[in-house]
Amino acid sequence: MLLITLIVLGIVMTFFLVVFVTDMIKSHKSKNQKYHKSEVIMAFVFLAPAVVMMFFFVILPIFMSLGYSFTDYDLMRPSDIGIAGDGFDNFRQLWKELSEHGLILDALINTALFVALVVPIQIGMALLLALFVNNKKRGTTIFKVCFFAPVAISLSVTAYIWKEIIPVDDLNTRYIAIIWIVFLSAWQGCGFQMLIFLSALGNIRKDLYEAAKVDGANVFQRFKTITLPGLRPTMLYILITVFIGACRVMVQPMLLTTYQSQTVTISLFMYKQGMEYNHVGYSCTVALFMTIFMGSITFLQRKLLGEKKK
Amino acid sequence: MRNRYALDPNFVRAKRSKKKIAWSIVYYLVGATLSLAFILPLLYMFAASTKDRDGIAQSYGTIMMFIPNFGSSSVFGQNYGFIFAEKEIWKYALNTIIYAAVIIVFNVIINGLAGYVLAKFKFPGKGFFNFIILFLIVVPVETSILPLYSVVNDLLGFNARNNLNFIGVMLPSMISVFNIFLYTQFFSSIPKEYEEAMHIDGASRFRMFFDLILPTSKPIIATTAVFSFIGVWNDYVWPRMMLPARAMGDTSWPLETIQAALTSIQEGGSSISPGQIMAALVVTTVPIFIVYTIAQKYIVKGFGTAGLKM
Amino acid sequence: MKKLILAPLAALTLGALTGCGGSDVDYNDNTKLKIRFHVDIGSVEGMAYSQIINDFNRENEDGIKVTATFVARSAGDTTYDLELQRDMKNGTLPDIITFDAPKCAEYASYGYFYDLTNQFSADEKAKFVTLNTYKGRLYGIPIQESSAGIYYNKRYFQEAGIDVSDITVDSPWDYARFKSVCASLKARHPSIVPAVMRFKDNNSEMATYLLYPFIYASGGGFVDETGKQALGIFNSAASIRGYQFLRDLYDAGYTDYKVEEQSFYKGEAAMLLSSGWTIPLMKDYTTTFPDDRNSWGLLPYPKDVTRASANGSWSYAIGNNPRTDKTNVIKLLKYITSAKSSKKITNATGMIPANVDAQETYPANSAEDVLLQQLEKTSIKRPDTVGYRQFSDTFRMVISSLGSEDVATLVNNKATYLQSELDKIK
Repeated sequence: MLLITLIVLGIVMTFFLVVFVTDMIKSHKSKNQKYHKSEVIMAFVFLAPAVVMMFFFVILPIFMSLGYSFTDYDLMRPSDIGIAGDGFDNFRQLWKELSEHGLILDALINTALFVALVVPIQIGMALLLALFVNNKKRGTTIFKVCFFAPVAISLSVTAYIWKEIIPVDDLNTRYIAIIWIVFLSAWQGCGFQMLIFLSALGNIRKDLYEAAKVDGANVFQRFKTITLPGLRPTMLYILITVFIGACRVMVQPMLLTTYQSQTVTISLFMYKQGMEYNHVGYSCTVALFMTIFMGSITFLQRKLLGEKKK
Repeated sequence: MRNRYALDPNFVRAKRSKKKIAWSIVYYLVGATLSLAFILPLLYMFAASTKDRDGIAQSYGTIMMFIPNFGSSSVFGQNYGFIFAEKEIWKYALNTIIYAAVIIVFNVIINGLAGYVLAKFKFPGKGFFNFIILFLIVVPVETSILPLYSVVNDLLGFNARNNLNFIGVMLPSMISVFNIFLYTQFFSSIPKEYEEAMHIDGASRFRMFFDLILPTSKPIIATTAVFSFIGVWNDYVWPRMMLPARAMGDTSWPLETIQAALTSIQEGGSSISPGQIMAALVVTTVPIFIVYTIAQKYIVKGFGTAGLKM
Repeated sequence: MKKLILAPLAALTLGALTGCGGSDVDYNDNTKLKIRFHVDIGSVEGMAYSQIINDFNRENEDGIKVTATFVARSAGDTTYDLELQRDMKNGTLPDIITFDAPKCAEYASYGYFYDLTNQFSADEKAKFVTLNTYKGRLYGIPIQESSAGIYYNKRYFQEAGIDVSDITVDSPWDYARFKSVCASLKARHPSIVPAVMRFKDNNSEMATYLLYPFIYASGGGFVDETGKQALGIFNSAASIRGYQFLRDLYDAGYTDYKVEEQSFYKGEAAMLLSSGWTIPLMKDYTTTFPDDRNSWGLLPYPKDVTRASANGSWSYAIGNNPRTDKTNVIKLLKYITSAKSSKKITNATGMIPANVDAQETYPANSAEDVLLQQLEKTSIKRPDTVGYRQFSDTFRMVISSLGSEDVATLVNNKATYLQSELDKIK
């Protein structure tokens, strides 16, 4: 444990030192970006608590999880962690299960279907609701509270109630079960994105609308030329967060159907493999690929939709 | 309301708004329907909490399903009495509130300071930190819950059951990469001039943080506080991992959180009626609902000012 | 306010400093024992355990002091396993732990359990209907036993002109007769579902526990003796016949995925597949069963090529901790598995005592008598395999999809899946 901590600390420090030194050299070369010694010291003092906490509770676990993907770490044998075969046994196992159409393929398909449906539906619902309550009419606060209400309930409570509502046969049927989970998730989550859209809508200057009205633009033209561009930065943020959240979907299928091929998702698969079947190493290998995948998609989203300038 | 119209001298405008009134009626009808769709499961939850086993079964599938029973056959008192007096759910609720309060205080200071540095300071390595923050938002943290568990265990030296386990419940939640991101964005919007004015007065950076930055950042503090609160209140897995066991004859105050009490009631088997479970669900949901209703306007403001550029 | 913030921080530092001070258990002191129960402390079962431990502390003359801790069952298996895992790592396993019987193989294979084979005499072993063994060695002693059967609503049976008085554990009904009973019920009461076969419970161990005997009764099975081979057994022709029987019930409309335990109590179903813990609940449903025991009856599992019924519940094992002298631990184990203790637990839970000395004799063909006879004569353990959870999950996947997919294809697919999961276990 101490050894792992020191190794990770070493890696992080090396990275930081490289960046630190390059920044220092840059500032020496350019005239207008000088650092003040006292400011730099204060910056690191202020950052220290967050950095220490982040190191122990965020970075170290991530690195450990990364490292475990090369080991045969068994949950019930925590004192006996060794390299799995030549180090790539877990990766071979993953490839084998994928090529043999194992359950992980179901998980992959279900997760992809879920993400593809829930991202547009949830964001669309959120935007419509935000536009609906974005006015000065009386009583919109009550609407807002109602729309947000599901966000406040824990997922376990939501699942408990929805179980009473969803027809049982639907949960046993491939694809239809996922569509119910999409619906449930969008219903529960969209209130939150509605709030963010609302705050972005509040930032759009009202005089733009007035000007467009004078020019004779109708509701849809105004929406297209003023509202949508005004929402653009927020849209990217919402897209990324909803996408990441959707990729991680686990609790809904777990509580609604437990571990079934019609609803299993990548996260649920990882949870089962790691926490219940004791294959922590293998679970971390799947996590590694999922992180790489999610990271690249997010990166693409930022490249394609982010602000061109800067 | 009627008085207002009677006193309104401008009849011409009133006539012109006839169409507007028609629109308003449509608006409120649509709003009410939508709101109902979002809170229907909650209504069911509350209605069921006032009924006994037969009452729930009989009303199921009819409109009565959503209407609470306060008539002579109501078991409202018994159900809630059981949850509060027998199951002492208030103790667990109080625990959770205390945990949340400590977490929020640390969260604001630790992440706030980091956000302040990243928003306002010039220092070498800043780009590196910003990159790390964005990167960590993307990485699925759930997959590293097991390593996190062993880190916290080793850090606090949980060799045997001891009384410090409750600290482990709070520790990881004190740091939130997402909150650092939010703070950075929000603090960037605070005009430089304020700080410069304070600087001329000879205030230290530390003073500036507490006397200028924090007081002007109420919306974002409220936002992150609400998120922390909802997170702690709804978290189930982590507290259970940290506080698994109770000793026999231990009549001292329990350390568990509200969700632990809830699941233990849910698993109570046949001795507990569905109405009592629903009452427990209502009790665990209502505080979140209240917190949100109070804080929602701050959240909109907080997100609006933060801008959320990814 | 500042103090309030600093206090946890100080406690934290203190914890980090003192934390490495080791455990609070001294494994050389054989008068201080630890026991851990996987049950909610406040439940009736939890209180019964507390009572037994208190009695032991008071009654024993060797000055042994037992402290008990409880890990809530509602917190899930994973929490309990993590707790065991943490103790295993630190060498602080409790002296006695409770566990669910089918998981014996897994825990034993990881070396969590102390070998009890030579600690109990043949006579003592004979007192228990089932014992928890792994690779021929004894690792666990059951706390309580269970059996299940088919509850039926006497009024519906009479109205449909069905006589089941000849069915006993020794001469049970077969699958064909089960179907014909369903057919008569459906013909007489088209709006009532003939049988609740618990397909809906495929999200919990309940479905596995209640339905696995049907596969055994058809001559099928799940895994071989090593517990590592499923392919060819899980999907053998006999096994598929068992699943096909369940599928036939669904196809003929004799059961479906909507009906649940409650449907039977509400009078919406005529038969219910359930365990013995249902018996005490029946008196609460006076609308459907006005005359309690005269309004309902219990039939044994139907047979196909052979008889089979469900069993298994919670058990005790001795933790493999650094304590070398286990004499007092064995003494404690014998006390808590004695007829007297067994009785106390089952009085609270309504289950069957594991110790035969504690079992009562019931009127012939009463519900309890049927269950007890089944337990002695026809019960078969759930498969002994290190991959029990993998097996149970796979079995429930089959049940969940049984209504919508071709049985043979489904069972073959799932057998392949189970085999790949079993192969993964080192």
